[in-house]
Amino acid sequence: MRTVILASLRTHTRRYGAALLAIVVGSAFIVVTAALSSAVRDGLTAGIGEPYAGADAVLDRPSSGDAARLLAAAPGDDADAWLVGWTMQQVAREGKVIDSSTDIAQVPDRPAHRWQDLLDGRFPGAPGEALVDTNAAKAKQLALGDRLRIGTGSSALEVTVVGIADSPSNHAVASVYLLWSDLSRWADSLYVGSLAWSGGGYDAARSAIRTVVPDAEPTTVPAFLQELQREVNNGVDIIQVVVLLFGAIALVVAVLVINNTFTILFAQRSRDFALLRCVGATRSQVLRSVRLESVALGVLAAIIGVLSGLGAGYGLVALVRAQWPGARLGHADVAPAWLAGSAAVAVGVTLVAAWLPTRRAVRISPLAALRPDDSTQARTRTGRIRIAFGAVMLVAGVLGLVAAVATANVGALAVGGATVFLGVLLFGPILVPALIRATGPLTRRLLGPAGRLAAGNAVRNPRRTAATVASLLIGVTLTTAVLTGMASSRSAVSAEMDEQYSIDLTVTAQGPLPADAVDRLAAVDGVAAAVPVPGAVATIDDLAPLPLLPASADGDATVLHGALPTPGPRQVLVPWDLLGDGLEVGDVVPVTVGDRTRELRVAGGEGWGEAALVRRTTLDALAPAAAVHAVWLRAAGDADPEDLAGSVEAIAAPVDAGVENGLAKRSYVDLQLDVLTGGVVGLLAIAVLIALVGIGNTLGLSVLERGREHALLRALGLTRRQVRRMLATEAVLLSLVATVLGTALGVVFAWTAVRALVQPAIDGAGLVLPWGQLGLVVTIAALAGLVAAVVPSRRASRIAPAAGLSLD
Amino acid sequence: MTSLTSPQPPAPTVALAASARGLMKSFGRDDTLVHALRGVDLDLPAGRFTAIMGPSGSGKSTLMHCLAGLDQPTAGGVTVAGQALEGMDDDTLTRFRRDHVGFVFQAFNLLPMLSAAQNIWLPTELAGRDRERSLRERFDGIVETLGLTERLTHRPAELSGGQQQRVAIARALLSAPAIVFADEPTGNLDSSSSAEVLSLLRQSVRELGQTVVMVTHETEAATYADDVIVLADGRITERRQAAA
Ligand SMILES: Nc1ncnc2c1ncn2[C@@H]1O[C@H](COP(=O)(O)OP(=O)(O)OP(=O)(O)O)[C@@H](O)[C@H]1O
Ligand SMILES: [Mg+2]
Repeated sequence: MRTVILASLRTHTRRYGAALLAIVVGSAFIVVTAALSSAVRDGLTAGIGEPYAGADAVLDRPSSGDAARLLAAAPGDDADAWLVGWTMQQVAREGKVIDSSTDIAQVPDRPAHRWQDLLDGRFPGAPGEALVDTNAAKAKQLALGDRLRIGTGSSALEVTVVGIADSPSNHAVASVYLLWSDLSRWADSLYVGSLAWSGGGYDAARSAIRTVVPDAEPTTVPAFLQELQREVNNGVDIIQVVVLLFGAIALVVAVLVINNTFTILFAQRSRDFALLRCVGATRSQVLRSVRLESVALGVLAAIIGVLSGLGAGYGLVALVRAQWPGARLGHADVAPAWLAGSAAVAVGVTLVAAWLPTRRAVRISPLAALRPDDSTQARTRTGRIRIAFGAVMLVAGVLGLVAAVATANVGALAVGGATVFLGVLLFGPILVPALIRATGPLTRRLLGPAGRLAAGNAVRNPRRTAATVASLLIGVTLTTAVLTGMASSRSAVSAEMDEQYSIDLTVTAQGPLPADAVDRLAAVDGVAAAVPVPGAVATIDDLAPLPLLPASADGDATVLHGALPTPGPRQVLVPWDLLGDGLEVGDVVPVTVGDRTRELRVAGGEGWGEAALVRRTTLDALAPAAAVHAVWLRAAGDADPEDLAGSVEAIAAPVDAGVENGLAKRSYVDLQLDVLTGGVVGLLAIAVLIALVGIGNTLGLSVLERGREHALLRALGLTRRQVRRMLATEAVLLSLVATVLGTALGVVFAWTAVRALVQPAIDGAGLVLPWGQLGLVVTIAALAGLVAAVVPSRRASRIAPAAGLSLD
Repeated sequence: MTSLTSPQPPAPTVALAASARGLMKSFGRDDTLVHALRGVDLDLPAGRFTAIMGPSGSGKSTLMHCLAGLDQPTAGGVTVAGQALEGMDDDTLTRFRRDHVGFVFQAFNLLPMLSAAQNIWLPTELAGRDRERSLRERFDGIVETLGLTERLTHRPAELSGGQQQRVAIARALLSAPAIVFADEPTGNLDSSSSAEVLSLLRQSVRELGQTVVMVTHETEAATYADDVIVLADGRITERRQAAA
């Protein structure tokens, strides 16, 4: 039997090529994921303790108010305190906005505690000096001596770049570092990750901290770092699991491809098997020989997969480290367990995929060898049980989806969706040929006899066709579901954003704006409309003086995307970042303009700039002669948020007005949705790629099987080009049917997901079809089908008719 | 063939459907070199039923493949329907076959996914001639003669071996080709089906004026032919005319 196994491996290895490729891609993906996540983990945790060197105690996530009080109290005696935290501010240079949202952090006052690694220049020694991160400097082309304007309006700060530094810790990195004396102006909007305290050991530090913030719970540095490390690890683990989920999807597709390969190969070799049985091989001998064959394939795939995964993973990490140091990847280090796991998955997947086909192969009777070859009419009958099962799955799945919509339950959604999908797969052998036949008239019209032959070929073995289509169906369904779901969420989110950032840009000043400001702002390139808003500077409780604006201004409909919140007659809306320290929502406080005072109830809100919002009537009562204190702008549709902010800033800065850039925030959310969509689709692309390999594979094996048929067609007058066109058409038909079916399913799934998940969260969210993207998916699938057909169709057309006729 | 109007060289006695001069064909090289044909000169007159006979491996199929433009001879020339085949590129050759040559093989004659009628129409469809009215009438006539009227919608798998061969003959005759090649058309059939197929081929020669060349090694089959050519080891060893 050994000779048989070896001989058949030799003759058939090439036919296993595609199956091999499918497993290799899947298992390599696992290793690459492990390499990348180890590099990310290494990058995130490297030097994680550096910013806390010299500290005696660390306070985890204090409020910004507590942090400010602690920093103010520390320099008293021997103690020092510094914080790891950020505020996001606009940064401009020479009137041009470089970045509308840059992270600004602290450089500690004491040289001993400055954890940043200075590369060039010096550390800031006085207010108005800034240290810039080297990667940020490269990205934004900042150099020593550059003058930057950080923030807008009355809190804006002019600084000079005096040093370039690198961060030893990815966890504490920021783009710009300032001394506390400068940074403290944004204490309200500061997110403080941790506060380090040094002086006199842990106990002394602890009691010093607790004298300022009585209920603070500082920890020792090692305890804090351990917790931090754990959090980072958890984060990476979660990402890793999500990415591996896509690997699992790719592997499921690989199972389908391999299963199909084995089924086809064994069908082609059924006469060999029967002959073996005739000459005396027992059933178990034949079974063992084909099982061994699949094990050999799995082991080979595991070796190639692990090695190529290691190569690709380490290569990718090295490439990213060399090309994009800003990505801050660490070193890759794949644990042996990952390699073993990936290899085991490769072998396991192969065995699972080969199980059914091998059993079918040995069930053949010895007599089959003596019967005339009927492989060409192998019209596998679709079992009734299969259909009944499929129907049950479809009904159960649809019920699951209905339940998911009714109860907004994610679990029901996933289970229902998967069940419906399995039902469709079971119906595949009926559904797919029916769809292909439906395209018959069209292909015939377009491509003539070659087209008709292709349609006939595509449906002649329904189960094989269905399995091939199924592999692509998975990827396409998920891709279109994600694209449609994202498009729907995006439109829901953008409706939400219209409410939240209803004004593109606000220019708000502490004093009356000059008369020509409105006209000059309206004239800025990229501004579609400008509306002057009257107001007055008010004192609200203990807050610093703040412009008080009406919630509606004359002509504001031309600038508003959505309605601003409407304050009640005895209400004042205060920006969220001013609330919390002393002033709380619900407080009734005195609001004073000049000599008039009203008692108003505080509520929070944002989206109209650095100002408080009241009813028009309230403002009239407090300030009968209100002058223009703000201008609200509507950007043109194609305006670049950064450029526009720069131009507006140039007008606003000289008159001491602050600019709030709602447009940039909206486009940031858009960008995040784009990145998310791109990432998910990119990961799904692996499954699609494997499926396309599968289509090429099925076609290639069918070409081998149909050698004599092609020779006959060539003898009867089909030209080489027509043979190629016939096979290409078959591949395109398969991929198109998979794509069209997948798109339909994907849209249905997206619709249920939107109904179940997005609508409860965002009112009025509906299904939005991204026609362009869906069209692109169909086009790409059709083209990929063409590409998949290149090799098989060339091989088929090259065969000389006489040679083909003597094949058996 | 009456419908064929290709320019023919002035023929001494009868028009030639095909001819070969100094035909050689070898396969492989060095150790595996096989001379399948070692110089064959052959004239196949139009409107006659010729049988090519000889022992297994004598080169019958190879000769037929070369004559039909399915394979390129190593040396020598072939002329079919007045046109020399050498120098034709693959596409021209394919189109030539489609228009001027019909085939019946021993087995695997039909495309499994097409019905009998679709199989019969296939070559004319490939040539884009399937809408011609004259062909439709010819189709009806041939199908009736061959007794296939009831079987037209069946797939090959649903037909007996003899019926399959009759479908193949109908396909070969439909376009009224200059010459029909049949390679052991009865090799898989029992004696009564064989007799049926052979008389149909002879009938097509007698009644439709078709030229038919049949490869066979059954002496029985050769008795249906007008002319018999015997091949041995790649050479013609005997030519005889059967009692007409
Ligand atoms: N493709 C090929 N490659 C190598 N040798 C070939 C090939 N085709 C035919 N031959 C050889 O050429 C010789 C003639 O073969 P051919 O098929 O013409 O014989 P035949 O007379 O048709 O035999 P049979 O009656 O068995 O069909 C044989 O020796 C055969 O081995
Ligand atoms: Mg032969």
